[in-house]
Amino acid sequence: MAAGIRPDEPGVVLHANRVVASSEAARSMGIVRGIRRREAQGRCADVLVAERDLAGEARAFEPVAAAVEAFTPRIELTQPGTCVFPTVGPSRYFGGDAFLATQILDAVETVIDGQTHCHVGIADGVFAARLAARMKHSGPHIVPPGESSLFLEPLPITTLEQPELTNVLWRLGLRTLGDFAALDPSDVLGRFARVGLEAHHRASGTNDRLADVIDPPPDMGVTLSLEPPVEQIGQAAFVARQLALELDAKLQRRGAACSRVTIEAESEHGEQFIRGWRHEGALSVAAMTDRVRWQLDGWLNASPNIRPSGGLSRLTLRPENLIPAAGRQLGFWGGETEADQRAGRAVARLEALVGADNVQVAEWRGGREPDDMIRLLPAGTVELSDRRLSMFDERPWPGQLPAPSPVELFVDRSIQVVDARGDALQVSGRGKVSGSPARVCLDGRRWKNVVSWAGPWLLDERWWDPERSRRRARFQLVDDDGNALLIYIQKGHWWLAGTY
Amino acid sequence: MTFTQAEVAVSEQVFDTRVMALLTELQEQVQRVAPVVLAAEQRLPVPGIFHTILPTGGLQRGWTTRVDGGPSARALAWALLSDITTAGGWIAAVDVPGIGLSAAREVGVAIERVLVVTNTDPDSWSATIGALIGSVDVIVFGAPQHRVQPSQYRRMSSRCRERGTVMVELASSGQGQLQYDVSFSVDPIEWRGLEQGHGCIQARGLDVSVSGRRSKGPTRSARFELPSIDGTLRRINRTSPSLSAVS
Repeated sequence: MAAGIRPDEPGVVLHANRVVASSEAARSMGIVRGIRRREAQGRCADVLVAERDLAGEARAFEPVAAAVEAFTPRIELTQPGTCVFPTVGPSRYFGGDAFLATQILDAVETVIDGQTHCHVGIADGVFAARLAARMKHSGPHIVPPGESSLFLEPLPITTLEQPELTNVLWRLGLRTLGDFAALDPSDVLGRFARVGLEAHHRASGTNDRLADVIDPPPDMGVTLSLEPPVEQIGQAAFVARQLALELDAKLQRRGAACSRVTIEAESEHGEQFIRGWRHEGALSVAAMTDRVRWQLDGWLNASPNIRPSGGLSRLTLRPENLIPAAGRQLGFWGGETEADQRAGRAVARLEALVGADNVQVAEWRGGREPDDMIRLLPAGTVELSDRRLSMFDERPWPGQLPAPSPVELFVDRSIQVVDARGDALQVSGRGKVSGSPARVCLDGRRWKNVVSWAGPWLLDERWWDPERSRRRARFQLVDDDGNALLIYIQKGHWWLAGTY
Repeated sequence: MTFTQAEVAVSEQVFDTRVMALLTELQEQVQRVAPVVLAAEQRLPVPGIFHTILPTGGLQRGWTTRVDGGPSARALAWALLSDITTAGGWIAAVDVPGIGLSAAREVGVAIERVLVVTNTDPDSWSATIGALIGSVDVIVFGAPQHRVQPSQYRRMSSRCRERGTVMVELASSGQGQLQYDVSFSVDPIEWRGLEQGHGCIQARGLDVSVSGRRSKGPTRSARFELPSIDGTLRRINRTSPSLSAVS
C-alpha cells in the first residue's frame, strides 16, 4: 500500500532482492514471499516492483494505528503495517471477540479506503494472532481461547521467520510448528539456547511474553527537550539516534535490554502522543532508532486532524519488558561480537564528523561490471552485527569478466587509445575492432605502449532503462609500465574503468 | 672517627644487597600487576603464505605499516588483511578513492566488515582516524592530500600502539610521513593470461619486499600470485622454471 500498488494489480515489494510482500493479484499468480525478483518477474511479466521503504510504510500505517487506538489505548506496533493489542478488556466492553474484530475491521477499512485490505486475527499470543490474521479469509479469523496450539500445529515451520533456526529444524525433520512444539522445552533450550526456547514458546502458542522479563524502575526513561521544536523529519532522525544511544547506554549500565519501547512526544502546544513498539527479541540501538524515526515520521506527516499542531518540543523513550542484555549474545550461529559493537560506536562518532552519508558499508549485489557488484550503503542505516551477505547466490552473470577484478575503479575518466598508425581505435556496432591497440594515454599528456591486450567483450545491458543502460565494448590491456587496465569504449569515446 | 678499609667494604656491601633486594621485590611487584599479554593475542591473523616475510611471522597489533606500489599495493593489502575480517575483525578504509571491493572479496575479505569512510576534509582527517583507533582492528588509508604535522602522526601511531589498531597507508610513490614499523613495497611483475589480442587477465604476479623498523637484517622479499590462475593466493618459489623464463 505504501508503495502505491493497489491490491487488484500485481505488485511486489523487494528487500535485498527477495520478495517481502506481494499484492493479492500477484499472489494469485503464484508470487509468494521469499522468491527472488527474477522468479517473480518470471511468474508475472508485468508485475510492479518497489523497493522496501520501511519509513514510508510506517508513515502510511499511522492513520490505521490511530483508528485502532480509538478502541483501546494499549496498542503496540511490531513492525510498520502490524499492530497488536490485548483483547481481554476491549472484548468485554464491545461485546465479544467477534464483534470487536468486525468493528475494528470496519474502522480500518474506512481509513484505508480500499487501497489495500486489512486482516484481523485474534488468538492467545501475538505470534498466533499474527498468523491468524494472515489466514486467507475475508473476515477476521478468531482462534478460541486455549486452542492456539491446535491452530498452530499444522502450519509450516518456516512461519517462525528465523531462517537460521528453521533451516536446522527442517534438516532435523521437523516440518510443522506442531512437530517442533512436541519437543521437550529443556532439550530445545539445551541445543538452541534462549533463541530456540523463545521460538518453542511461540510455536506451542503458550505465551509470547519473553522469559525473565522484569518491569523497569520508573526512572529508566530518557527525555530530550527539543529547542527549537522539531518539525522536519531530517532533524527528528538525528534526535532519534541520540535518544536511542542514550537509552541503550542507560540500559547497559544495568546489564539489561528492552524488547518494548514507548515513544512519547509532546508538541509545543502541549499535545501528547504516545505509541509503543515491540520486538520479539531485544531492541538494538539501530532497531530502536528506526522505530523512533518511523514513529516521528508518522506523526509529523499524518493527516491534519491527527497531526501535532506545532513542532515537537519534548521526546521521551521509555523502556519496557527489560530482559538481560546477555540475550543478545546469540548462540552458535553468530550474533553480535564485541568487535561489531565497537565498530557500531565508531560509526556513531564518524557520522558526526564526516556526515552520515560518508560512512558506508558494502553490500554484495552481483553484476556484470565491477562497479555494479558492490553497493555502498550508509552504515547508520544497517544493523552492523550479524550481517550475512551470502543472501545472493553465486549464480553466473553472463557477460561478467572473470576474476580478478580491478582494485581501483574510476568514474568518468576519459582516455585515448590509438592503433599502430596513430588513428583512434574504433569498434563497430557488431564488435569489429578497427585495429589493435598500440598506445594509450591516460592523463592527456604521456603516451604509453600497449604490451598485451584482449577484447572486445561486448556488453549491452538494460537497454530498456535510458538512465542505466550500457552498451560498451571492454578491453583489458597491460602497458609498458606493467600496469593492467580495464578500459571500454562507449558511443565512440574511450574510458578508463579500473586498474588491476 | 675513622673506618678501616674492611669496615667500609662491609658497610657498602650491606647497602648494596639492600638495594638489590628492594629492586628484585619491585620487579616482582611490577610483574604481578602488569597485565599478562600473550604474543599470540597481540598478533592479527594473516594468510599463511605471508608468515615468512613478516618480521614476527604475523601482523602485530599497534603497528603502523605502509604499502606502496600503485594499484597493486591494494591487491597486497587486501590479501594481507583478508583473514582478519573472516575472523570477525573490522577494517576501516579512509579516503581510498575508487575502492574496488569486489577485488577485495575475491582475495577473501569479508566485505561486510569493511567500513568505508570518504570525503574527510583536512580539518576532520585526524579526528576521523582518531575515532577509528581502538574501534576497528585495521585502518587502511590513502595517502592524505594535505600536509599532516609530524607531531600529529606521532600521536596517531602512539595511540595505535596503545589501543592495538594497525594502520596501513596505501601510497603510490615517494617517502611516507610516518616512521613505519613495516613497509611493503610492491612491484607488479607479471599478468598471466593476457596475450596479443586474446586471453584475459587471470593471475597477478607481484614482487613484495619488506623493510622497516621491525624488519631486522636485510630486506626480505618474495614473489606472490594474488590471485593465481586457480583463484587462490600463492607464494611462488623464485627458482620455479616457468617464472624465471618470463621474468
